Amino acid sequence: MTDKTILSVDNLALSYGSNPILKGVSMQLRRGEVVSLLGPSGSGKTTLLRAVAGLEQPHAGSVTIAGRTIYDGAAGIDIPAEKRDLGLVFQSYALWPHKTVFDNVAYPLKLRKVGQGEIAERVHAALKNLGLGHLAERYPHQLSGGQQQRVSIARALVYNPPVILLDEPLSNLDAKMREEARAWLRNLIVEMQLSALVVTHDQSEAMAMSDRILLLNGGVIEQQGSPQEMYSQPQTYFVADFMGSNNILKGRVAEIRDGEACVEVDGQLRIWGRRRSDAAIGQEVKAVLRVEQLRLADGPGEHRLAMDLATSMFLGDRFEYVFHAGDTLLRAWGNRPEAAGQRWLEFPPDAVWVF
Amino acid sequence: MLQTLPRRAVVALLALSVFFPLGLVLWQSVLSGPFFMPSAQLSLESFVFIFEDPDFWMATRNTLIIAVGMSVIAIPLGAVLAFIMVRTDLPGRRWLETPILIPIFVSPVVLAFGYVVSLGPVGFFSVWFEALFGHVPWNIYSLASIVVIAGLTHVPHVYLYSSSALRNLGSDVEEAARLSGASPFRVARDVSIPMVSPALLYVGVLVFFLGFEIFGLPLILGDPEGHLVLTTYLYKLTNKLGTPSYHLMAAVATCIIAVTFPLVLLQRALLKSAQRFVAMKGKSARQRPLALGPWKWVALAVIALWLLLTIVVPVSGVALRSVVSSWGTGINLLEVLTLDHFRAVFEEDVMIRSILNSILIGTFGGALAVGGYLLVGLATHRKADGLSRLVDYIVLTPRAVPGLMAGLAVFWVFLFVPFLAPLRSTLFSVWFAYAVVWLAYGMRLIQSALMQVGPELEEAGRLVGASRARVSLDITVPLIRNGLLGAWLLVFMIFEREYSTGVYLLSPGTEVIGAQIVSLWASGAVDVVAALSLINMLLVGSGLALALRFGVKLHD
Repeated sequence: MTDKTILSVDNLALSYGSNPILKGVSMQLRRGEVVSLLGPSGSGKTTLLRAVAGLEQPHAGSVTIAGRTIYDGAAGIDIPAEKRDLGLVFQSYALWPHKTVFDNVAYPLKLRKVGQGEIAERVHAALKNLGLGHLAERYPHQLSGGQQQRVSIARALVYNPPVILLDEPLSNLDAKMREEARAWLRNLIVEMQLSALVVTHDQSEAMAMSDRILLLNGGVIEQQGSPQEMYSQPQTYFVADFMGSNNILKGRVAEIRDGEACVEVDGQLRIWGRRRSDAAIGQEVKAVLRVEQLRLADGPGEHRLAMDLATSMFLGDRFEYVFHAGDTLLRAWGNRPEAAGQRWLEFPPDAVWVF
Repeated sequence: MLQTLPRRAVVALLALSVFFPLGLVLWQSVLSGPFFMPSAQLSLESFVFIFEDPDFWMATRNTLIIAVGMSVIAIPLGAVLAFIMVRTDLPGRRWLETPILIPIFVSPVVLAFGYVVSLGPVGFFSVWFEALFGHVPWNIYSLASIVVIAGLTHVPHVYLYSSSALRNLGSDVEEAARLSGASPFRVARDVSIPMVSPALLYVGVLVFFLGFEIFGLPLILGDPEGHLVLTTYLYKLTNKLGTPSYHLMAAVATCIIAVTFPLVLLQRALLKSAQRFVAMKGKSARQRPLALGPWKWVALAVIALWLLLTIVVPVSGVALRSVVSSWGTGINLLEVLTLDHFRAVFEEDVMIRSILNSILIGTFGGALAVGGYLLVGLATHRKADGLSRLVDYIVLTPRAVPGLMAGLAVFWVFLFVPFLAPLRSTLFSVWFAYAVVWLAYGMRLIQSALMQVGPELEEAGRLVGASRARVSLDITVPLIRNGLLGAWLLVFMIFEREYSTGVYLLSPGTEVIGAQIVSLWASGAVDVVAALSLINMLLVGSGLALALRFGVKLHD
């Protein structure tokens, strides 16, 4: 652990009754870093965030923030949520409907016995910073979803917590606003040099917003790393499948050569890819093919196969081609419409992983 | 821990308030005499005495007949009423909702009195009916009449639970059945009714054990022909042996509790399974009402007849009786109109006091009770631990104790706990008994209000640095203000309606209208009873009007 580490979770375990949710999770968050907790529903990502916040009760492990132990199962330390000094932005924003925007943001300072004058000063500064200066006297129900989210962030930041936790911060916004808010939020975090832990189920959101991604699966960390690493060097089938848009083909290993394996699908298609497991010749494997890496080619060649194009769909910024690959469908992207019929498709081996 | 101390104190006080009086009843039932007599010893002779008393067995038989009979009448009627109101296009449904619920808030003793003056041997309606048809085919004092009246007045209870279950039922499950080829009536039979059957079972148990606790109706209607039920048998025991026969009354009460307590536990288990059903409900989309066609006139006629019998007849009887000096065959009511009964009421200090006390206990007492219930609610709010489960059971316990007996137990408490004794002849003792008897009702109101608060609003408070207590004060309580106001109004009505709990606590200074009516009825002061009954109904009615004005839901 370096002195740059601001949040450290060590071997944290948590169960609901006899049902284990977190099975020993360890992670670090460095000062000024944004880490995303990514995973499918039920993977334990929200539970991990809530356990750090003090809203869920772990039964083993420890959590340290800025050198202060806030939970330690073995030592019996469990600081209550209100004494942990963390900022949490709730998925639903959780603005108190009976308080104005100003009172919502001022409440944490009031609890900290800050003087009236200073409260007004700091709340107005926080609101102004988030572009909410003119809304101080409104009630939450008079705000739009985006504005509510900003108030919720202002409330979590106004007392300068060392770490800010965000639970699915963009999921309550509509699709169009989500992309703008994503850029705005990333910019805010970088500008204010915040250390942030973000829960999300959306891989593109995680990649766009964070410096590092932790992918959780069934209560354990499956893999962690920078967004590029996670995307281009998946260690397991789960990671490869979860990140990006994929085609999954099932087949048998037909040939092995240096770190590459050839998969035979339905006894006809033969595709070369990176070998990611120790499956031997004849064993059943899955090939993960990134949709955006498959390219239409104008003729035969290395790593090219003749395929049967069923249809092409217009997605706005690109076309998606749907091929028949034995019993399954194979998708690829391109930028012009194609009529159905026989086509050549290129499978670059470093974009195909064999598990 | 500073946070858990007040919580434990609240729960300890609650447990003491419920279990100490109840324990006193159980202990008294195994003594040979009143517990304050030095000669009282541990003995089962009180049980031997009542088991050898033929009146006890008659009362038990009658109680069973009433409990079964009223369930048989109330459950199908209430369920059908709920189906018609929630699922069909009956004209005037919105307008009918409130009158249907009125019997819940009218004191049964007032209702019973209304039946006597309307349908009794010389009642207003009996006299008119006899003049028209030559004879009166009913006898209001027969056991059958008591069963029918008890059944009809408990229809609203069944209606409440089955209508809310029907409302929660998503119309998608019904539409799926329609699209599969089921007619509207098949849908009701094969989908809607089976899906609300847990609610019907729950309310069936409720009505059955309410049958064990009814007191006002059999007290007034059963007396002339000597039809005793367990509660009136208990009431009559007061002076059976010349000295206060507390041990005998406690033995009867123990027998009643032995039946009702398991039923309360059964209800709790049923509620759990009913909630599992609710969890499976589909989306509550806009429901398309079922077209009744010409059947709507039949449905309207049934509802109108029921409203006539359960509300119009008794209430108009009370109102009329309170403004005439005499009644019976051959009397022109217009010639005997008078306000003397009200004058009599307002000339007597006791009566004025009982009216003022009733108002006080409803307003201040109601607010205080809601405050107490709120403390208990907050102590267990979002804490699923052993203490909360304990509170669950404590809250249910008073339901199993008839109000009459609870009042007596509280009387004993105030009689013999030294520092409480000076409070016995103050309204506080009555308030305490009321608050304990209606604990389960009040807690349901508070808990349903607390459930409306999103957990993340409270968690957000914790995260920014507020302690549990601070979160309750600054976030939870302000958010449920409207729910608390509604609870206060409903508790006000329930406290105005209450009559049996105050019977044994009645003494100079603690008079309330309900208990006063019971006591005056025994002395035959019918004129004053009529006037007090009308005043009582006016108090409940003003609470109801306020509740409707503020949009308080009469049920959850």
